[in-house]
Formats: sequence, structure tokens, C-alpha cells
Amino acid sequence: MTGEDEMEIAQAEQPTVRLGGVEAAQPAESETTVATLARPIFEVSKLSVDYGTHRALADVTMDINEKSVTAFIGPSGCGKSTFIRCFNRMNDLIPSAHVSGRVDYHGQDLYAPAVEPVEVRKLVGMVFQKPNPFPKSIYDNVAFGPRVLRMKDGLDDRVEQALRSAALWDEVKDRLKTNALSLSGGQQQRLCIARCLAVEPDVILMDEPASALDPISTSAIEDLMHQLKTDYTIVIVTHNMQQAARVADMTAFFSVDVGEDGQRTGVLVEYAETQKIFTTPSDSRTEGYVTGRFG
Amino acid sequence: MRTGFQHELDQLEADLQEEGEIVLRSLRGALNALESQDVELADEVIAFDDEVDDRYHGLEKRIEQLLARQTPVATDLRLVLAVLHSNMHLERIGDQCVTIAKLTKLTSHLETKRSLIEGFEEMGWRAEEMLRVAMEGFANRDVVAARSLSDLDELIDRGNRSITKQVLALAGEPGLQEWGMRMIVVSRCLERIGDNAVDIGEQTEYLVTGDFQEFTDASHPEGRAL
Repeated sequence: MTGEDEMEIAQAEQPTVRLGGVEAAQPAESETTVATLARPIFEVSKLSVDYGTHRALADVTMDINEKSVTAFIGPSGCGKSTFIRCFNRMNDLIPSAHVSGRVDYHGQDLYAPAVEPVEVRKLVGMVFQKPNPFPKSIYDNVAFGPRVLRMKDGLDDRVEQALRSAALWDEVKDRLKTNALSLSGGQQQRLCIARCLAVEPDVILMDEPASALDPISTSAIEDLMHQLKTDYTIVIVTHNMQQAARVADMTAFFSVDVGEDGQRTGVLVEYAETQKIFTTPSDSRTEGYVTGRFG
Repeated sequence: MRTGFQHELDQLEADLQEEGEIVLRSLRGALNALESQDVELADEVIAFDDEVDDRYHGLEKRIEQLLARQTPVATDLRLVLAVLHSNMHLERIGDQCVTIAKLTKLTSHLETKRSLIEGFEEMGWRAEEMLRVAMEGFANRDVVAARSLSDLDELIDRGNRSITKQVLALAGEPGLQEWGMRMIVVSRCLERIGDNAVDIGEQTEYLVTGDFQEFTDASHPEGRAL
């Protein structure tokens, strides 16, 4: 606001009176973004994924920051689920899938011949769209991973800690021997997160973790993500853009390129701080998607 | 496509433009009443402010509902916020017109000085021009036009300084002193209308670029914000 009188006053004399107690404001650190502060845990370079002769995802280059939440959004078929599965080599389980390019995890090539996919999946856990507990007790579900990986010392403590971290302990501590399928959908999903945490992963991948849940359970999962990112790196695929806006520090928007032969290939369109994606996206395709005008 | 939502956004903006037209009518009325010491017209201007207020409250309410129901993002979010702020600036201009009309009534029986009235004519049409530029700049997403408002504002500020000097020169004319004092406030009102037009220009720049910055910074006059 331009105040004529104030301008004259300001021109007339420089202020000499201190109002006291007001620290000089730090210069705005608009350039110091989440992206520049955080360390990358994954460095993806020119990554493409083919299913047989069909290229599902083309030429993705991006870094995933450590101890933060990164969201992948985009229309169906944009390759975001294909992409998230590259971080724990889940695509290895699909016979026709071929991954090219490079994914470095802590500077180590994740797809190097010497790397054991099972070891990768211990460090990079995954939670799926539909809660998928084993038809066993709550305790056995959480203890399953540690037992398989021979992490049997202090198993009770490990199970309790995982359930506490997944914000489920208080709800199930008196019925650990009950069948996990008796839990509600939201509780089952938190159990799956506890199961993932029990083997002390480094990264948690979540593929539409709340899309089958009611709003209260969704909110519980989102709160949990906020808590977990202190200790873990979280990558989430979501169809719910407001969910990305609520939980993610960084957001990547993927879209679909349709080739002359009608082949649909996923491409990374824009990757930036979540706030930027939802206020001033750089690419018109991102703008069109987040405002609901396209995709 | 969210056609219903797009229609609501279009309507929001059309209503803001209509409010701008109504405020312009109010400003013209206030200026005419001032110039001819027309008490009846001044009363009309005061009553007409209900029209401005109705539109202001209507827009506020609709924006509240739109934010709650549609969760706008990106350009849509910036448009809604820019309309929200510009709505407030228009309402403030309406209030300045009422103040001018009230002062016209208060001074209708007093002797006036022609040269000062002519100064108000100039400030008045400059204020009208600024409001038009602000509203057209907003409609056309024209950042260059929006930024030109700070230059236009300098001209209206000069008018304000000139009026102040002329009123001070009335010291030797006791019959004109009360009128002169009231006219300082009228001059201030017109100067503030210029500021509000600049504020709307700042909203246009925010809408287009996503960056909000004051075109001129009153607390740091030595360094212009732009």
C-alpha cells in the first residue's frame, strides 16, 4: 500500500526510535527449498520401464529426498505405480518387465548384478492399496518379517515398537492373538505399515495406501506419514490430489504421452515442492490436472 | 472438465467487474456533488453505498463457499484470492466516496475557492482513470497496465500535495479556513482511492505471476519495490 503522507514523513526523517524487542527479520529464504536442503536417498537417471514391447514409462530423471514424503500424482496409466515399484525392484517379479536406466540408492546402483532383490525389499518396504494382512494373529503378522529374516532377538519388543510406530498399539495391545482379519480396514492398513516397520526399513513405499479407507482412517494414515517421515523416507502414489497436497513435501506429476501408433507411455512432467505444484505449477499440463481441467 | 466450477469462477469475476462499475458511479456522483455543493446528490451517494456493500458481502460469502466446496488450486486459487482482496479494496473505495459525500454535506453552506475545486476535478478524473485501468488490467491479466498504476498514483499524490499547500495558503482568509480543513480530508480520500487502485494492480500481478509484491513500499520510499 502506498501512503502519500507516510512517504512524505519517511522522506523527511529517518526513523531513530526503536520499537524494542523486534529482532531484525531474517532475509526470506525463498531459494532455500526443501529440494536444496534435503539429501537425495534415490537418484534416478533416464529410467524407462517396458512391458514386453510396450514402453510404460520413459526417461525419468529425478532425486528422492531422504526423510521426507514424496508424492507421485497423475492420471491412470501415467506409470506412477510402475515407477514406485522400481524403488524396491518389485518389477523384477513381472516376467515381461524390463527396467533400463539407473536407480542409485545411497549412491549404490540398485540394479547392479550383485544386489539381492530380497535384501532391497527389506530396506525398502511397501504398503499396497488394499490392506493385505495374513490370515494370522495380529502378533504373527508383525512378527512374520523379522522371523523370516532371522531377526528373532527381542521379538515381543520389536512387535510392540512397530505397532506403536504405526499408531496401532493402543487399539490392539489387549488382543494381539486375535486374527488380523477382525480389524477394521483402517486398522488393517496400519497393521500392514507396522509389518513393514518391523524389519527396520529405510524407505516405505505406499501405493494408494488410503484409497480403500474411510475419511477418518485416511486421516490416521496421513497423520502417521507425518510422524514417520522423521525416521523414514516415504514415497506415495495417490489419486487423491488433496492428499498429496496435505502430506507431501515434494510432488511429481506424471502424464501420458500417446504415440503415433496409439501407444501410451508415462512421462514425468513436473517435479517440485508440493506448494509450488498446487499454487504456481510451471507446466500447463500440471495446471490442467491439478485444477481438474484435464486427465 | 469441471464446468460448474468454471462457471462459478467466471461469475465471481463478472461480479467483481460489476462492483467496479458501481464504485465508479459512486465516485462520479461524489465528485459531482462536491463540485456543485449538491446536498441531494451527496445523500444519494451515501445511500448508494448499500449497493456496493451488498455486492461486497455477496462476493465474500460466495468465495467462502467456493473455498469450502471446490478447494481451488493453482491459477484457480490465485484468482479466488485476488478477487477476495480486490473486493475489499473496491469496498474501501466505496467508503471513501461516502466520506467525500458526507464532507460535501457538512460544507454545503460554506464559501469555496474555485482553484481548489478545479484541483479536485483533476484528482477525481485521475482516480476514475486509475480505477478503470485497475479493473481492465485485472480482466485482461495485463501486468504492464497493472504496474503503470504506480506511475498514475504519483500524479494523484502530487495533486494531494498541491491541495495541502493551497489550503495552508488560506491562513489569511478566515472565511475559508473551515472549508479548507474539510477539503484536506477530501483530498486524502481521493489519494487513498489511488492507493486502492494500485492495490488491485498488485493483485493482478499476483494472479498472473504467483508473486505478490508491493509496487511501491511506503516504509522504504528510497528503493522502489519494482
